[in-house]
Amino acid sequence: MIATTPCAGCHQNRAENLVALGVRVGKWDYLVALAGNPNTGKSTVFNALTGLRQHTGNWPGKTVVRAEGSFDNQDKRVKIIDLPGTYSLDAGSADEEVARDFLLFGQPDVTVVVVDATRLERNLNLVVQILEVTDRVVVCLNLMDEARRHGIDVDVDKLSAELGVPVVPTVARRGRGIPKLLEAMHAVAMGSVTTTPTQVDYKAPAVESAVSELGTHIESAFPTLSKPRWVALRLLGGDTRVEHALRAGDLGGIESGALIPETVRDREENPSAEVSDLLDIAANLRWQLPSGFRDAIVENIYKKAEGIAERCTSRDGKPRFDLDATLDRLLTSRWLGFPTMLFILAVVFWLTIAGANVPSGMLATLLLDNFHPVLKDAAAALSLPFWLDGLLIDGVYLATAWVVAVMLPPMAIFFPLFTLLEDFGYLPRVAFNLDSMFQKVGAHGKQALTMCMGFGCNAAGVVATRVIDSPRERLIAIITNNFSLCNGRWPTQILIATIFIGALVPSQLAGLVSAAAVVAIAVLGMIAMFGVSWLLSQTVLRGQATTFSLELPPYRPPRVLQTLYTSLIDRTLIVLWRAVVFAAPAGAVIWLMSNITVSGVSIAVHAVSFLDPFGVLIGLNGVIMLAYIVAIPANEIIIPTVLMLTVMTAGVTNPEGVGVMFELDSSVETRAVLVAGGWTLLTGINLMLFSLLHNPCSTTLYTIYRETRSLKWTTVSV
Amino acid sequence: MPDPGLALAVFSLVTVILVVLFWPNWGLASRLLRLVPATERVRIEDSLKHVFNAEYQGTSCTIESLAGVLEIPRSEAVKLVARLDSSRLVELSSRRGTPTLALTAAGREYALRILRTHRLWEQYLAERTGVNPSDWHDQAEVREHTLSAEDADLLAAGMGHPPYDPHGDPIPTAAGQLPPKLGVALTSYTAGRAARIVHLEDEPAEVYQQLVHAGLSPNMHIQLLESSDDKVRFSADGREHQFDPVVAASITIVPTRVDDVTEGVSRKLSDLRVGETGRVLGIVASCRGVQRRRLLDLGAVPGTLIKAKLKSPLGEPVAYDIRGAMVALRHEQADSIQISSAEESAVKVS
Repeated sequence: MIATTPCAGCHQNRAENLVALGVRVGKWDYLVALAGNPNTGKSTVFNALTGLRQHTGNWPGKTVVRAEGSFDNQDKRVKIIDLPGTYSLDAGSADEEVARDFLLFGQPDVTVVVVDATRLERNLNLVVQILEVTDRVVVCLNLMDEARRHGIDVDVDKLSAELGVPVVPTVARRGRGIPKLLEAMHAVAMGSVTTTPTQVDYKAPAVESAVSELGTHIESAFPTLSKPRWVALRLLGGDTRVEHALRAGDLGGIESGALIPETVRDREENPSAEVSDLLDIAANLRWQLPSGFRDAIVENIYKKAEGIAERCTSRDGKPRFDLDATLDRLLTSRWLGFPTMLFILAVVFWLTIAGANVPSGMLATLLLDNFHPVLKDAAAALSLPFWLDGLLIDGVYLATAWVVAVMLPPMAIFFPLFTLLEDFGYLPRVAFNLDSMFQKVGAHGKQALTMCMGFGCNAAGVVATRVIDSPRERLIAIITNNFSLCNGRWPTQILIATIFIGALVPSQLAGLVSAAAVVAIAVLGMIAMFGVSWLLSQTVLRGQATTFSLELPPYRPPRVLQTLYTSLIDRTLIVLWRAVVFAAPAGAVIWLMSNITVSGVSIAVHAVSFLDPFGVLIGLNGVIMLAYIVAIPANEIIIPTVLMLTVMTAGVTNPEGVGVMFELDSSVETRAVLVAGGWTLLTGINLMLFSLLHNPCSTTLYTIYRETRSLKWTTVSV
Repeated sequence: MPDPGLALAVFSLVTVILVVLFWPNWGLASRLLRLVPATERVRIEDSLKHVFNAEYQGTSCTIESLAGVLEIPRSEAVKLVARLDSSRLVELSSRRGTPTLALTAAGREYALRILRTHRLWEQYLAERTGVNPSDWHDQAEVREHTLSAEDADLLAAGMGHPPYDPHGDPIPTAAGQLPPKLGVALTSYTAGRAARIVHLEDEPAEVYQQLVHAGLSPNMHIQLLESSDDKVRFSADGREHQFDPVVAASITIVPTRVDDVTEGVSRKLSDLRVGETGRVLGIVASCRGVQRRRLLDLGAVPGTLIKAKLKSPLGEPVAYDIRGAMVALRHEQADSIQISSAEESAVKVS
């Protein structure tokens, strides 16, 4: 039944299918799909195989968008696709559909199913389902170390014999067993090992009569078929793929896994009389199916998995002192749960703020105070024309430098800390503690975490919503993420609070009061988040299907160094990318606007006077409006832009020159400039509110678009 | 700068007006839309459905019954019937002086197509969306007139050709086939016996609301406890229900063997206290679609031992040990998993 080498024609068709499935077709000798339950260490296996550093964490459901990589194995080019983690292949959710379609139509040469040795039963449920659609399977029995720690012993040889496919025990985190896994993959892909996968027999009385009746009809219509009962079962269950194959008269193809939907579409139009009869019989038999037909199928698969797991595992006596359970009791207890949580989060924020100040200041000094004049001098030495020097150095360079200085240090501290907590397994417990609050507004407990990530950077928060597996809750989390005051907006808040609110009270109290004001704004953001979540779930998202599942994985000792390294590299790259792609053009625009003059006045001043009425309407002014419009790409440069524009319009002399963004060293000077621009306390408060509630920056917008693939939702979030 | 108080007042006024206008269901816009009179095609299709239903239930269909169901005056109904007759969709015959309507072959085919679309859409709403059960019928009433036959086929294929809609009614196949009517009204059944609900009549809506509100749904196993002229009492999925016979007549059942029914009142997973263990009996029928699939995939199939391990400090969700994995479930989910009574709590789960 297994074709050792795919025929030329098939291969070409497969290539087309793969393109349709979004896989980049390149040169490779065989294709490997990586499947498995969520949180089995699939991504770790993927990284161990490819040497890539895909960000992994102790989270069910990390890989929603498929990752792909390639490597060499025994002189063969291997392409590997990391499928989303799923509990089953039944097309219930988007993830499951992706995984299923890929296994069916992408026809990988080998499917590696990563299995959590500590949860064998549940994992085998998926393995058994995969064995139903493809023969070429290698089971990677991962997390063997954890199994040993929990006193679970798996008989690998027996498991392999029961399943009929190779089983390789691994500890992917430490790279143990990976060479063996590569060998097994190679052997199955090259056909040097023949697999005889075990099949489920659906003996439940609920299923039996209909299946055997339809099976007999199929057998008489297609006598050469080797699995008529399986085809009957699929047909009764409404498997469209089998139906397509039947219509096209290509049932043989489906059994050997060589069915290409694109090629059969023409033949489908006119199925033979025999086939139409069969389809009619199937349609009529469906009425006789008992109510629990689908449940019975799942139950059968689980029975099978349970049987295999029972025969292959043994537990050595009593488990030792159960650290996990104790920790869990502590971290989710009624009295200690919340204090611990708040304490941990407070520490993370404090470390970020305290830790970021110094490098931020250093970067600012280096890039803005030291390097900028050097560049200016160099430009002057080269006698660059005024506009080129201004555009590149005062516009592009300054904006980029500003973003890097403000964003990089907090990002590089905040996210690794979060990743460590994630790696350890604490974050799912936070979601567990808080879920009830989020349930009331129709959201998912995990939104608490994406919200926290949003305090660092909204774009990262939006990406983090991938861990929410119900589409409705995920959309809510994405749209409301902007209400988390991100890193780029903190400085604005702090500055304005100091200038306007702090000034209201005696100077001893100023620091405290302005800090309280900023915190109040952040809390207001959270309230807005809850409110909008509730509104969304009541109105536009009402009626969307929703599921909830939150798995609490076992605690794992975090790998500090590796996490720090990958997290640092990841985030640094994101920040730099962001700075260059979004902030640099904005810098150029700002400079151009203030330096190109139309009828004696610069475009910026025109724009400000045009926007002024709108701004005043919501308690701001034209300057702020314009600043927010041109600074959509990066909220960090709002304050510098505002200052520059105010100076320009209010006619105060700019120490740095026309169209050059700047920040003043002391808040007193800043205040002087702003008051000269006609600012009042009310403007200040309004600006703080506006900064909280206005549209997300373009990086976030772009990320939202990428994650939802929908302009509609992107617009909504604006 | 304008007075901020004034600005705020204007802003909130505008918000309130927008909400009143466009809020779904009770907003002015959606109310106005509902007042638009049904087009003629919609009326024709609705009357075909009515005639078909009457034939399927074995009752007769008259101009009066048509006028009643479509909520139009009799004079309109006469015109409508004339129209149906002239386009050869129905035939008029006279039984004991009253003109009765019967479908022609073309009329039946048309009616089946509308019925198929209606029931498929209801099934779609039930399985793939979170739309409220009491809204399924109304939404399907609109969709049945707008969805093409091809779209309906695609919908059916996407859902794996469901044989029944969420009310337990069979969905006609694309070829227009339908099985003979199953079951009897609950009111005509003997007390003390077991049965399975096969159908909940969704018209009139008030009665259906009552049934849905009580948590009833097709495929539920029930035990009829008492049936008299003024009340019908039965237990379903471990809960006891009591209805007026008028309401109970909307429930259609088929007899089952007693061993299909779990004896007595069972417990829900959410009844477990932390540390207790229960054995899964099944998932209640009203939990459907993705929700049901997810619970099954997590391993909550009959026979599974589940232990309650942790409770969130806010009381919800509760984390359970299901087949070796710690899975947190909300109350609503845990409510839909039935477990056997406490005797088995002695059984040890790792």
